[in-house]
Amino acid sequence: MGDVLTLSGLEVRAGAEVLVHSVDLLLAAGEICALVGASGSGKSLTARAMLGLVEIDPGVTRGTLEITVGDRSYQPPMSGDFRARKRAFEGIRGAVVGYLPQDAGRALDPLRTVGRQVGHTARLAGRDDGPLPWLDKAGLQPSVAGRYPHELSGGMAQRVVIAQALARGSRFLLADEPTTGLDPAVRRPLLRELRHLADEGVGILWITHDLRATRGLADRVLVMSEGRVVESTTPDVLDSGEVSSPAARKLVDATRRIAGGRVR
Amino acid sequence: MSRVAWVLLAVVVCIGLVAPFGDWERAMTVIPTEAGLGPSPGHPLGTDHLGRDVLARLQLATSAFAGPGLLACAVALVLAVPTAAVSAYRGGVLGSATRFAFTSLAAIPRFVLVLLVLSIYGDSPTTLALAVGASYVPLLGEAVYERIERLRGEEYVLASQAHGLAGGRILWVHLVWFACGRLIGRHLLALFGFYLVLETTLSYIGGFGVQEPHPSWGNMLVFEWGRRSLVDPGLLAPGIALWATLALTDWASESLGEVEHG
Amino acid sequence: MLRTLLGRAVLTVSSLVAAATAVQLLLWAAPGDPIDLLPNGAELRPQLEAEWGLDQPVWMRVVTNLGRAATGELGTSLSYRPGTPVTEVLAQPALNSFALLIASLVLALAWSAGLAAFTRGRRQHTSRLVRTLSVAPVFLLAHLCIHGLNEVTWSLMEAGTIARPAWFALPGEASAMRTALAVVLLAVGSGALADMHREAEQALISIRRSGFVDAARARGEPTFLLVARHLTLPLASLAAARTGFLLGGLVVVEKVLLINGAGAILWQAALLRDVPVALGITLMAATTVCAARLAADALRVGIDPRLRSQA
Repeated sequence: MGDVLTLSGLEVRAGAEVLVHSVDLLLAAGEICALVGASGSGKSLTARAMLGLVEIDPGVTRGTLEITVGDRSYQPPMSGDFRARKRAFEGIRGAVVGYLPQDAGRALDPLRTVGRQVGHTARLAGRDDGPLPWLDKAGLQPSVAGRYPHELSGGMAQRVVIAQALARGSRFLLADEPTTGLDPAVRRPLLRELRHLADEGVGILWITHDLRATRGLADRVLVMSEGRVVESTTPDVLDSGEVSSPAARKLVDATRRIAGGRVR
Repeated sequence: MSRVAWVLLAVVVCIGLVAPFGDWERAMTVIPTEAGLGPSPGHPLGTDHLGRDVLARLQLATSAFAGPGLLACAVALVLAVPTAAVSAYRGGVLGSATRFAFTSLAAIPRFVLVLLVLSIYGDSPTTLALAVGASYVPLLGEAVYERIERLRGEEYVLASQAHGLAGGRILWVHLVWFACGRLIGRHLLALFGFYLVLETTLSYIGGFGVQEPHPSWGNMLVFEWGRRSLVDPGLLAPGIALWATLALTDWASESLGEVEHG
Repeated sequence: MLRTLLGRAVLTVSSLVAAATAVQLLLWAAPGDPIDLLPNGAELRPQLEAEWGLDQPVWMRVVTNLGRAATGELGTSLSYRPGTPVTEVLAQPALNSFALLIASLVLALAWSAGLAAFTRGRRQHTSRLVRTLSVAPVFLLAHLCIHGLNEVTWSLMEAGTIARPAWFALPGEASAMRTALAVVLLAVGSGALADMHREAEQALISIRRSGFVDAARARGEPTFLLVARHLTLPLASLAAARTGFLLGGLVVVEKVLLINGAGAILWQAALLRDVPVALGITLMAATTVCAARLAADALRVGIDPRLRSQA
């Protein structure tokens, strides 16, 4: 598959302050690209800019985004007229680029059952087979369909959100720290779920602050610091410590210290 | 902007408090030959249908609500805040009972309750002030109760308790004064505005409140409209004064911040 | 779900009883003999002493009267329409008032929600204008509308431009125009619109910022229905909270705009010190407020599964 998402020269500013400096990013179908960085480094902002959902007032976004799916190509304007931007992005969100939020429990409508929400999403995507196949694909029992979001655990809620993304048929997924705040026991299976998705041809941008977790899961790693991508490499290289930028060096060292501390 | 509102409001209240001691011959003496005059240097806002100076009546009318309005605020403050504060701080049965009492009393619409009190106890400014103050107790009490109950379990309260700070000091200084001061201020301003609305409404409709020949911004609006133009300053002045004063209380209360939620 | 609702119902009814008791105590706490307060007290004394149970202790009177009120018996009017049962005096006017209340409640909810959707916490000038307009008391707005309309119509009629329009009613005449004006003013004046707008706006902002709306947006789904469904919860509470306030405003608009309603009767009863009628109306008003609270609770419990599982 030749589906590919290209972001180049992304810049996000809040007033005079530049939050993201000319970020270039390429995401191909079937790969997991990890975007790693400390909190406040601009990772989430980058992802949200790709959805046209930067909610800073007054915020300015610049750059170009080009998405090719099959023989179709999308190029939503990143700056300029608000209405035109909104219309362009509405055609892309969900159908082409999906989003996995950090706090899945809050991302579900508390007033409707899981089944109705997933079914609703599937119907919007033009699929009439109800919620069950998608819940099953995300590794959930059919009985979950009758439950309300407040009756779910964090891991289950995250799986429901994945089921929604599956039902929506997104070609690319921007996963914003999807496992933060979950038990380690739940984290691994969920991340394996992401790997399955990628193997089925979805391109995933996985935002995380946990460098270690990328090992064996991500195909590539981008390290972000202070609004710039400072390192583009693979998990194995990072593991060996062969990084060039000081910011990435710091991140690797910090990760090692934590790991070391735990062994002792 | 908000400072201006506070100053103007204070001026209105001061005029109202001082007015009863002044000499208001111009406002009270009927001079048939000077009836219905337009604005002139002698009468900046003209005269009313009985030849009385509109500006003087406008000033005298502030005494109809300034004093009683403050009395109503004092009544609500004294009845509601200590009850709500103590029962919310203690919690338990006392707390639930107070809460229940506030909720129950809040079911009676304030205006209806005031009219009922007037029908039972008769009409006088003091009765009205007491009734309005008392009718506001559930609202103010509930607000203070909710706030203190929410803060009671907060870290800084627990910490000061652990440091051995006296319970009374925590409650009155920290919880009531610092945490609820602005909330109470907003409610008292609203209550003052409510008294003003109530007094002018009663006086306008007639039968209660201020009655001729004494002026109120409410009863000054009642007169023969037939001959005079709608935009006559003398006719509109009481309405504008009333509207402006209410807008001032609104601005002043906005400057106290913390818009309530829900 | 049924248990949750039942609990709320019991609480609401008991708070209504408490309110009614408080009102009764207010009456019996009055200094002196309550019958002396009445303008025609002397001639009614023998009848009233029996009816009000003045030979009994206060708590007995309260219990008896509450029992009577519960069965719909509110005593007889003393001076407004002497000898008529209060329920009969109030039947038709109360219906009129109720219709006004519902209409103004619906209108106030509709335009505060619409306005909130328009301002969304951004258009400060619009919000400021709404607040400044809305602080005006209901009677002042009614006064200005009536006189402004009359003046314009009179001058047009005098100039021969128009004939007497159908809605132009002389004082004392009922008219649809006055009723419509009453509904509109009730939903605007004395801060009604400003307060409801502010609360609806805040609710709307917090819903639009919530994670599920953001997630729906990120999935490219329309969010209108989602937001609307969530907005019903705070709007229901808001409507219940405003009911008492609007009932107070009803008294004023009915009086100023000459509408035959319970509010106008309350005013008359208060003037004539017809305590049974005033008490009856107060009780009805409190019942309406409690019913509104209960209805709002039922709606919220019906919509929100989190409330159902709490109990």
